[in-house]
Amino acid sequence: MSRSHILMTAQCAWIALAISTSACAADKPVAPQTPQQLKQAWRAIAALPDFWQGTWQSIGAISDDFPVPPDYTPGALEQIRNFKPTEDSPFANCTPLGLPFAQSIGGMPMKFFQSPGLIALYIESSGMTRFIHTDARAHSNPPNPSYLGESIGHWEGDTLVVDTTGFVDGTLFQIGRDRRALLQGDPNPMAGVIFGKHGPDMHLVERMRLLDFKTMEIQTTIHDSTVFNKPYTLPARKFLRGIERRNEPQEWACTDNRDYLDPETGKLELNVKSKAQSR
Amino acid sequence: MKHNKTWNRLQLVGLALAAAAALYVPAASAHHSFGKFEMMKLTTLHGTVRDWKWANPHSWLTVAVVKADGSTEDWALVGSSPNMMARWGWNATDIHVGDIVSVDVHAGHDGEHIGAIKNVFLPGGKVLVDPAGSNGEGLAGAGPTTPPSKPEGELYK
Repeated sequence: MSRSHILMTAQCAWIALAISTSACAADKPVAPQTPQQLKQAWRAIAALPDFWQGTWQSIGAISDDFPVPPDYTPGALEQIRNFKPTEDSPFANCTPLGLPFAQSIGGMPMKFFQSPGLIALYIESSGMTRFIHTDARAHSNPPNPSYLGESIGHWEGDTLVVDTTGFVDGTLFQIGRDRRALLQGDPNPMAGVIFGKHGPDMHLVERMRLLDFKTMEIQTTIHDSTVFNKPYTLPARKFLRGIERRNEPQEWACTDNRDYLDPETGKLELNVKSKAQSR
Repeated sequence: MKHNKTWNRLQLVGLALAAAAALYVPAASAHHSFGKFEMMKLTTLHGTVRDWKWANPHSWLTVAVVKADGSTEDWALVGSSPNMMARWGWNATDIHVGDIVSVDVHAGHDGEHIGAIKNVFLPGGKVLVDPAGSNGEGLAGAGPTTPPSKPEGELYK
């Protein structure tokens, strides 16, 4: 709560400049409407770091590493103990992912868009878009659950800080990693990945910034007291900017899935149209 | 507590081998893992296209292969996401039912007639390379690799 309030105070300042002093009251639209307001709002956007041109391709491994051992809760340790690896991730069944996994999986790029008060982040490999509100609002109480959560962002210097919460129970969430698989040289990018359940109040805080024109870094901290005794910061991830025409965003719709991962047995079957699920 | 200890011990080993881990190159994102396929071996299938589906999450190419003994086998071959393939120079209209093609694949482990597409050699001479296995740098930066001029696998008879 306090985090949201600080965020509001910081952001209301510049929104108030552009629009009106009452702009930050709950559910008051802050969209600039007069030519003067529009000019000011877009000028403010023009001064922001250039996240906007081209698209961003994840260049790290699909799954997260947990190089610093997390301080797990007893509940999380039990989840880890009971985790049974499957032949593939549940993504095989075309179910939507969760964060940060949806962004990390890569293969296809992401694209940022912006208009006053809102940043949209299209994630091509899921065909889904995140909406990051930058109008200094507080989180809904409580947010309706969704796969990508409710995101509120603000700028700290050149860093976009995004706080996201309100995830559905079933998002694909990596709780840890059994590093033995990596050490044994398993070439499967999902080797040793431990998926688990996040708590209902999980917050992700992402810090997004440009390292140079070609490179973006996103560092994610997971706040979830049902899993980690203290917030856990994942290793920062890098994304490479592509400005060539082939890197432009494309539609992605999961309409012809032929893979089926049996959630009971963990077995993956390929080319089984009769069982596979599309969306 | 016991688990915390286990993780700490794993972590120590992890640190010792951090350099090795840094060399670990992830395959490009795929909707599913490639654990079902012989990723270290290429097999070349020569046959007639029965079906070609350009759709997400994966494209599928079905090729009828006539074996040395005269029998015919249908092979179901999975490609990357069409989005990735389009960036690698593929077009949905490149392949037609009835085309005679050669396809380099990573065949299924278990003798099933499935494979993961590596290269497709079209009747007109065009060669399509599947981007599966490319890393993020290649996908965003360097772009498609130079296609091979002829099939690279062991011919399936």
